[in-house]
Amino acid sequence: MIQVTDLQKAYNGVTVLDIQGLTIAPGESFGLVGNNGAGKTTFFRLILDLIEPTTGEVKIEGQRVMRNDAWKTITGSFLDEGFLIDFLTTEEYFTFVGKLHHKSEGDIALFLEGMKEFFNDEILGTKKLIRDYSKGNQKKIGIAAALIGDPKILILDEPFTALDPSSQIRLKRFLIDLQTRLNMTMLISSHDLNHVTEVCKRTVVLEKGKVVRDLQTNEDTLKELQAYFAV
Amino acid sequence: MLIQNLITQDWKKGFRAQGFYKNLAVSIMMGLFGLYMAASFLFLGFSLNEILEKADDKLNPTELFNGAMLYIMMIGLALRFFMQQLNTLNLASYQVLPIKRSSLINFLILKPLASPANYFLLLVVVPFAVKSVVGYYSASVALRFVLSFIFLVWFDSLTAAFLKRKFGSGVLSGVIVLVILASVIALEYFKIFSLFHYSGLLYGFIVFKSYGLFVSLLMVAVAYLLNRWFFSVNYYAEKFNRKLERNKTVATDLSFLNRFGIIGELIGMEIKLILRHKRTKSLLYMSCVFLLYGLLFYRGTTYANMPSMLFFVAMFMTGLLMLMFGQWFISWDSSHFDCLMTSNIPVRTYMSANYYLMIAFNVLCFVLTTPYFLFGMKIVYLHVAAFIFNIGVNIFLLMFLTTFNTKRVDLSKPNVMNYQGTTYKSFLIVLPIMFVPMAIVGIMSNFLSLGTALWTLTILGLVGILLRKQLLTLCVNQFNRRKYKLAEGFREAE
Repeated sequence: MIQVTDLQKAYNGVTVLDIQGLTIAPGESFGLVGNNGAGKTTFFRLILDLIEPTTGEVKIEGQRVMRNDAWKTITGSFLDEGFLIDFLTTEEYFTFVGKLHHKSEGDIALFLEGMKEFFNDEILGTKKLIRDYSKGNQKKIGIAAALIGDPKILILDEPFTALDPSSQIRLKRFLIDLQTRLNMTMLISSHDLNHVTEVCKRTVVLEKGKVVRDLQTNEDTLKELQAYFAV
Repeated sequence: MLIQNLITQDWKKGFRAQGFYKNLAVSIMMGLFGLYMAASFLFLGFSLNEILEKADDKLNPTELFNGAMLYIMMIGLALRFFMQQLNTLNLASYQVLPIKRSSLINFLILKPLASPANYFLLLVVVPFAVKSVVGYYSASVALRFVLSFIFLVWFDSLTAAFLKRKFGSGVLSGVIVLVILASVIALEYFKIFSLFHYSGLLYGFIVFKSYGLFVSLLMVAVAYLLNRWFFSVNYYAEKFNRKLERNKTVATDLSFLNRFGIIGELIGMEIKLILRHKRTKSLLYMSCVFLLYGLLFYRGTTYANMPSMLFFVAMFMTGLLMLMFGQWFISWDSSHFDCLMTSNIPVRTYMSANYYLMIAFNVLCFVLTTPYFLFGMKIVYLHVAAFIFNIGVNIFLLMFLTTFNTKRVDLSKPNVMNYQGTTYKSFLIVLPIMFVPMAIVGIMSNFLSLGTALWTLTILGLVGILLRKQLLTLCVNQFNRRKYKLAEGFREAE
């Protein structure tokens, strides 16, 4: 699904990301962990063609992502508030993103109906602009919008931070459901090792831009990760 | 002591804001512009006596000025309503400290009076008072004249702040202000009700009578008390913060755009963007004012023999919204640029949406400026040529060059004099767009004829329209080349 070859990103001669080769299979749930500055967000931005790699390339379904529009039809993503259009109301925003994926009003309503539990009655029908929502609710809006176009690949950066405990549990359940029901490929980064090992079947540890661990999740993974990050 | 602390903290807020020192080139340019304005104002102040002496044979310059006072007050009020930024201290962070609330409120109300911009017009008033009022009357009258003007400024500043806080600065209140202003001017023009007359009476009383200044002071006091009253009613910061105003989003029905697919959706989004941010709204108001530009140039004979100037004005007005907005169409998306780049929007569609939006702007401006056709056939030719050149050539120049504006623009901050996100590049972009066609007209009409010049530009424009597909591709490629620079620049918050 996603192939990464010789991917390097350097700022002023300092390499912040250096991934020799990495392949993510269709339907794989890929967790990314690492301390601040390890290059998690940089990696996601490179996949989403938001920054230009110094060398190497990323391919989605065999096509290079660089200066290409094709991957956008099958990829849903939410990294930060920059992925929201904050002067729209939530309904307007969902309609906008839905229309980009050629969804009808009915499709969008149906989709939002399915998100009801996740939104917990705080998002829809309020006439509020997105910029007036709390960080946690903005995150919910962003994650929902990433899913509206039935993506084959979902990329989320730190989806659990700023969410309340109930929402975290709902989101976890929801992501696992998407994997089993739709076989969706997922890339999720998090600082919370518990969340990652619960949601992802594969966990990769980045340190200073390099892949230092690549684990298939089993009952020992959490312990191994905790040992790795222990100070 | 406390007020002093608040003021120094306010200064620090300004100087320590990131990006204060980054934009040195722009600051210098603005400084030079300020100096130029100051010099012009001083010059006007010294020559105003002669100008007014010629203007009317019955009334002397001071009486004329007095008659204009209420107009100055009204126009000042309207301008402030659009341009003056509300003094917002982050009240919540001070409210928890042991500071008397009334000191904070006083600071909020009175601080704008300390802004030097308020007193810019004194550069006109003081020389006029010294030269003219002293000459016709006496030094004490001149002093009262200057003082009454300062009080007028205070009154305006306080009242504008009150009105803005009370009624908000939405589109509707803006329209109401403009309508009131226009109707007073119309009443005067058709000699139904002369504000000029009453202004003369009122300010004659204020300036010539020794106790007249009390009237002025009383007005200031009333304006001040209105502000106090506002804050006493709205005790909590949340009551007068922008949050309240924001939550009531007026549903913008742009469903007719649905027919145009993704391009329609994008255009709808841009229109909402313009209507829901202070900065873009103020630009809209400014544009309304600029539409009157033609009245300055088309009337009379001063510019009749300066075809390049006339063409400049025609191009400026028929392309007004495009010239105002076009340069920013990418930067304004800076806060949600990542969203647009990862959503299912092909780059070509994104650029096309902006292209069609600007075409719509141009058509709108062309239609709005048709009343100028009453000034003669020449204006018709000028406008048509300018319109075609704008939608054939300038539109693509703008779309191409705007990819060099890589600074994040924060739209939530008002207002007209907001240059955040402006760099020297923004000025460079305007140069070829404005001055190349002007030069073509200037040179060709000098050596050949104005007709030839206009035909040349029209043909250039038509060629641009015919080649629009190819030109758009050029812009799309340019955008793709600059995309990463743009995304990176937009992510850097100031």
